[in-house]
Amino acid sequence: MFEHILSSMIFLPILAGLILLLAPVPKNGSRAIGFVVSVAVLILGLKLYAGFNGAGGMEFVEKCTWIKSLGIHYTLGVDGISLLVLMAGAVLFPTIFLLFSTKTKGYYGNLLIAEGAMTGAVCAGDLILFYIFWEVMLLPIFFMIGLYGGEGKISATLKITLYTIAGSLLMLAAIIFIGVSYHTQFGVWSFDIAKMAGLRLHGSMAVLAFAGFMLAFAIKIPLFPFHTWLPDAYTEAPSAATFVLSAIMAKIGVYAVIRFVVPVFGPEFTKYALILAYAGVIGMMYCGIAAIAQKDFKRMLAFSSASHMGIIALGIFCMNVQALTGTLFQIVAHATSTGALFLFAGILEERMNTRKIADLGGIAGKAPVFAMFFAIAMLASVGLPGTSGFIGEFLIILGAIKFNVIIGVLAGTSLIIGVCYMLWMFQRVFFEKVNERTEKFRDLTSVEVFAFLPIIILIVVMGIYPQPFIKKIEPAAKIQISSLLHNMQVADLNVLERGRNQEKK
Amino acid sequence: MEHTAQFYLGLIPLMPLIGAVVIGLMHVMTCRGDRLPNKLYAVLACVGPVVSCIMAFQVFAILRTLPVEHRILVHNAFTWFSVGELKISMGFMADPLSALMLLFVTFIGSLIHVYSIGYMADDKTFAKFFAYMNLFLGSMLILVLGDGPVVMFVGWEGVGLCSYLLISYYNEDQSNVLAGNKAFIVNRIGDLGFVLGMAFLFWGIGANNGFDYVSLRANAHLLPPAMTLVVCLLLFVGATGKSAQIPLYVWLPDAMAGPTPVSALIHAATMVTAGVYMVARFSFLYAHVPAAGEIVAWVGILTALLSAIYGMFQDDIKKVLAYSTVSQLGYMFAGVGVAAYSAGIFHVFTHAFFKALLFLGAGSVIYAMHHEQNIWKMGGLKKKLPITYLTMLVGALALSGCPPFSGFFSKDEILFSAYANGFKGIWMIGVLVAGMTAYYTFRMIFVVFWGEPKNKSAYDHAHEPPAVMTVPLIILAVGALLAGFLNFPALFGGHQLVSQWLAPSVLDHHPHAEAATEWMAMGASVAAFIIGISIAFVKFAKGVEMPVFSGFAKFAYHKFYVDELYDFLLVQPYKTIGAMIWEHFDPDVTDGPRKATAFLYGMAGSAFKVIQTGYVRMYAIYMVIGLSLISLLISQTLN
Amino acid sequence: MILNYLTLSIVLFCLGILGVISRRNVFTVFMSIELMLNAANLAFISFSRLHVSMDGHVLALMIIAVAAAEAALALAVVILLHKHKGVLDTNIFSLLKG
Repeated sequence: MFEHILSSMIFLPILAGLILLLAPVPKNGSRAIGFVVSVAVLILGLKLYAGFNGAGGMEFVEKCTWIKSLGIHYTLGVDGISLLVLMAGAVLFPTIFLLFSTKTKGYYGNLLIAEGAMTGAVCAGDLILFYIFWEVMLLPIFFMIGLYGGEGKISATLKITLYTIAGSLLMLAAIIFIGVSYHTQFGVWSFDIAKMAGLRLHGSMAVLAFAGFMLAFAIKIPLFPFHTWLPDAYTEAPSAATFVLSAIMAKIGVYAVIRFVVPVFGPEFTKYALILAYAGVIGMMYCGIAAIAQKDFKRMLAFSSASHMGIIALGIFCMNVQALTGTLFQIVAHATSTGALFLFAGILEERMNTRKIADLGGIAGKAPVFAMFFAIAMLASVGLPGTSGFIGEFLIILGAIKFNVIIGVLAGTSLIIGVCYMLWMFQRVFFEKVNERTEKFRDLTSVEVFAFLPIIILIVVMGIYPQPFIKKIEPAAKIQISSLLHNMQVADLNVLERGRNQEKK
Repeated sequence: MEHTAQFYLGLIPLMPLIGAVVIGLMHVMTCRGDRLPNKLYAVLACVGPVVSCIMAFQVFAILRTLPVEHRILVHNAFTWFSVGELKISMGFMADPLSALMLLFVTFIGSLIHVYSIGYMADDKTFAKFFAYMNLFLGSMLILVLGDGPVVMFVGWEGVGLCSYLLISYYNEDQSNVLAGNKAFIVNRIGDLGFVLGMAFLFWGIGANNGFDYVSLRANAHLLPPAMTLVVCLLLFVGATGKSAQIPLYVWLPDAMAGPTPVSALIHAATMVTAGVYMVARFSFLYAHVPAAGEIVAWVGILTALLSAIYGMFQDDIKKVLAYSTVSQLGYMFAGVGVAAYSAGIFHVFTHAFFKALLFLGAGSVIYAMHHEQNIWKMGGLKKKLPITYLTMLVGALALSGCPPFSGFFSKDEILFSAYANGFKGIWMIGVLVAGMTAYYTFRMIFVVFWGEPKNKSAYDHAHEPPAVMTVPLIILAVGALLAGFLNFPALFGGHQLVSQWLAPSVLDHHPHAEAATEWMAMGASVAAFIIGISIAFVKFAKGVEMPVFSGFAKFAYHKFYVDELYDFLLVQPYKTIGAMIWEHFDPDVTDGPRKATAFLYGMAGSAFKVIQTGYVRMYAIYMVIGLSLISLLISQTLN
Repeated sequence: MILNYLTLSIVLFCLGILGVISRRNVFTVFMSIELMLNAANLAFISFSRLHVSMDGHVLALMIIAVAAAEAALALAVVILLHKHKGVLDTNIFSLLKG
């Protein structure tokens, strides 16, 4: 089992999920199974993390031929880029099973399948394999929103489905284009991502393929202006699905840009980086400002999440090692803080039967532990030093200043924007006077405290002593950036050469 | 010796932080059942600050034994994060500047902790208060001791957070929470300047040469002048946020919503002076671009003037003190702006004593009057609260710059430096503000302590607070009286110990002026003080009723409607834009393509809907027609 | 000679179509369909005779078997329809109207 640690991490939850869906398992049993399986995955993940030496290359590689005639392989592996994304999922999933006790077995089954598929998407080293996991991971989410969501669940499901399917199909077309180009260039079929860096793509077709990839990921992240599915989906989805969407799935979009777009489409990426960076930073401001107008706390958190994703994505487009490392770090930091916030929102909704900010108040006095945990997660989300949120945000802003001063300054405004809506919400939900509704609010139970404690500790530890995490990701980020810079130089040389040739003529 | 001191450097901020965590956890764990006794918390709360204070004195002593040019102790606790060229270690540095700050922060911090035990005795969440206070002190010490801008920023934001938590401490009242929000958000605007300044500085010189103060100082000349100016101004934006200068001063008066010890510690003595400390810390940059210093000085002196005007018309005892704090902070910036860094820092030092004293005195007045803060409802308290009265009188004299109280020496040093360094305008405004300061300070003293009691029943119940509150007052009063002699001017045969001590840390511009000029400047300050206090005496000494403001006074009483202006210009548009995005822009514009696609599909659907009649016969007809056409087509192609 | 059989087949088929299209009673429609099937059978048999091959017979027998099975199913459906609405008018059953 331990030779195939990644495969185990992928297929254990998927199989368990399928069993839950198909076999007649009682409700409580299904929750127990879910918890046990997710803890097993966490243990495997910790083993993986301990064994990861962080030299910058792929580790724990598993490879076998799948479809020989088309050169499709079953390739798995982790490096510094994927490690933390993987770990974020593994660490956060058990929490859900601890927290939500009253759901049906389909709920837990879908969650498990989502966990397995996401792990697969993060580890996949083959484009086709990645595509399959990418699609599989979306399915449980559709079901969860559609079946267990709030009042507007149908339209929310429809919206997210249409958006993501549109993106995915374009990506499939782009993948096929890449495979065919590879075949034309080298005479053999392959979809191995490691080999794609050698691919030279030219002309408008390359730009189109780049756009196809980028669009799929931009929708998933989401980048402005493709974010409109997000508020509806996050708000209407059941808490666990919102948590999975915001904490992990959105990050896989960011991860995929780094893993697939940057190496393959180096020249196109550098060419359009500025526009994409503007999309990121405008999205950050746009969603952040929209958040202040929300009357529903879950929707406000949804906008906040979208706002943060803008700045996280920005880190990729700045093309320097600080910003990229910041993004990779922030992926985990944001997963923990926003994930926790959505879980808190779920608890709040479950106990108070409302999502309206105006209906609440005075919870800090009623439930000090809950308020403290919420405050810590909130402070991490606004990037206070000493919490995990600061390191990533600071690195991204620093990198953005180097990349482009205007973008850097705009990115800096996230310091202000985040605080505005968060404090405003915190004031009206946790402070002020208690009303009849919040009078009955009871504090977190011991089990809930136990479930949240790892997340809260992680938030603080990652803020005070982030170096062990950064040490794991920095080498891989450096390699990415140096290959990108190399690409840029090649592109510059090409331009120069063309210029010279024209002069000769 | 040095090794011990370095070890202490890490421990000094850690002690209060541990205290905060321990108290916080104990509070959270017991908040559902029986609370632990307040005494336990009181002891725990004071351990951290006092131990830090003792260690701070040790560090100071060790630093003094070192030769002047080697007076720097650095302790790198651990590598905080390191990415590419950016290598940030959690490092703490003690040099003369930070050691001086360290001394009075821990000292006054400890005193205020002790005072709070009495002041907060009836509070329901006693432990929470002290957890926040300890957290604040730890953050403040990180701010002071940080060996580079990034570590300083940790403390910088940490004190901002604690300030927010403590301002909105009585969080059932909406206005308190709003004041807290305002403080945090306005501070964050300043922090944006800090972060950007830091980023420019990093890419300017820090990336290749290290990003701690020692390396930055050594390489400051590598930064192009234009860039230096930008960095200086951005950092100053940060300072205006934290130290409540124009245009970001609006949060500090509202911050008085917090408990009074908080106002004394955070919003008078320590946190708000962080901006001045920062400018002095970066004196190696400001020294290169005089223009930046000039802007700092002008902003400072104008803030001093503006808030002195406000201060003359306030009726809340804490608001008077709050505006006087803003005003004094303006002086400090004027000092560091005219490159008299040691004078500015010295004023920070003396101000910490007398302003903490005044606030704590005000706290004991408020305590005695059962949380009445309106000065017009007090009066005649001189007899009832003799210790408070006398100590506050010392504070007031120091604040108004009466020789030989501490405020006189530090303020005069600033004004003289401004004059001698050629900033005549700043000097003139400074003297004017000095007169105004004397006026509003003694207006407060006279109205509160002299005259007849306005509220008889409250007056009868008023009594001197317990020793745990009066002893800190007395200690601070002694400090306010004597602290000035530390920098006894050369004119009187002194040695200017503070200036000499700070010399290795800051790049002072020492004016060379004749003794006559110095006498003249000093004379002007004293004259302003006498005029101010005389007017106050004439108007208020006999006791007056609450005045009705009109004309300019009304305008100043409402603080020139600046809050309303900001609300109208910034807050409301921000909210409106937010609502517009959410209600109109997002559904109609951004979501437009999706909606358009859905609409097109809908249209196509309704077009084809017509032939879907639902009658089996109709479908049969379509089938027949279709099959006939296909047959026809096939037969055509076959031929 | 063969032409006559085929003509008859076509006529029967067209009658069947006409029946399906114009009649509203479910039974009549059903019988019209049977008529069309038998028209096809006739055509198969005719061609079989023409080509002197047994293929047509095979298909015709097959169709008869299918028709029998279909009749069983269809009659069950008709009974259900009658139970459901009480009438056998095809116009009543227009649930698929767009």
